[in-house]
Amino acid sequence: MAVKRMVLVVALMVSGISLMLWAGWHNLRERRLEQQQQAQRHIDLVPGGSNGSAQGGGDEQLPSLVGKPAPAFSLVTLEGKRVTLAEYKGRPLLINFWATWCAPCKLEMPWFEEFRTQYAPQGFEILGIAEDDAGKDEIAKVARQAGVTYPVLLTDGKVAPAYGGVDVLPMSFYIDRNGVIVEQTAGLGGKDEIEANIRKVVATPAQSGGTATAAVAAPSAAGAQ
Amino acid sequence: MRALPGLLLAWMVAGPLPSTGQSLDVPLGPEPGPTARAGAWVSYAAEPQVILAGRMQQLTLRFQVAAGYHVNSHTPRSQFLIPTELRLQPADGVKPGAAAYPAGAPYSFASAPQEKLDVYAGRFSITLPVQASAGEHVLHGTLRYQACDRASCYPPQQLAVQVPFQARN
Repeated sequence: MAVKRMVLVVALMVSGISLMLWAGWHNLRERRLEQQQQAQRHIDLVPGGSNGSAQGGGDEQLPSLVGKPAPAFSLVTLEGKRVTLAEYKGRPLLINFWATWCAPCKLEMPWFEEFRTQYAPQGFEILGIAEDDAGKDEIAKVARQAGVTYPVLLTDGKVAPAYGGVDVLPMSFYIDRNGVIVEQTAGLGGKDEIEANIRKVVATPAQSGGTATAAVAAPSAAGAQ
Repeated sequence: MRALPGLLLAWMVAGPLPSTGQSLDVPLGPEPGPTARAGAWVSYAAEPQVILAGRMQQLTLRFQVAAGYHVNSHTPRSQFLIPTELRLQPADGVKPGAAAYPAGAPYSFASAPQEKLDVYAGRFSITLPVQASAGEHVLHGTLRYQACDRASCYPPQQLAVQVPFQARN
């Protein structure tokens, strides 16, 4: 009787320990799974990282114009002066699309201003295109607050489609002296990244002739008015 | 010793301990996907509600911002930013009051941590006081918002909103 009872107790203990081990493993697995799901769904309210490279959700799908001639345009500045891309033939350019409602756009404008001064001796220029429904006065006020002195052009509704749609802001096109788009960026980039792109277009020597220069010199239907 | 099997059984029935995972800054949301990139950064699903007829009652509209994105709150910190705003069309038998918006959460871009924005991310709700006659009603309107992610901003959007509810005596 005593032996039977001992066997029963030992069997209970073995099964109990087995159950504990299984329950512990199950518990750990559930916790890890839930933590993994939470980490996947977590949103950074203050994004980390400081490399500043554009991490926008839309840039992966944007059509690339790199290597192509910059589409010509003819737009009016805040001061009412008409400006064409062809006027800047032979100069390295940064064309920056922005809007008054775009917070990251305004963060990089002071950097642009700084680089414009720094690379002016090499002929570098910046053209800001306000892709915005806001009035001229409001656009001018935001540009002034951001310290912008480079030309700000008002959209005509055709220039953005000519540059691939520009449905993400900010969007920048770095154009070399030959009128070729060397880099295209969407989203707020780091200051170093912006300067590296400017250096690329500043360093590219002008070539005589070529389709790219011709494209810049002759405004397309999209931009001509 | 005799109690051991019972204790083990109780533990098993109770199930695993609740998770002690990290607390989230904002409510959970769906993973970024094609929907968000097609222009629907905020989603809304109408949920039928019942209120008392003839009295000022509260309706709740629940919205979800796609994961990885944020929209300006109703009171962004700059006059140039586009606030999230509910606009309703007039409806027979319904007198809406002023919508109540939740407070936003602070947000700053990595390149300028000192500049704080005021945003909604994850889930947010707008409360709408209404006084309605008895019967079934549907309010139609739009939610205007402007979304950004951690580096880019997207053009302002208008999300169609329908608010079905029943007013009972």
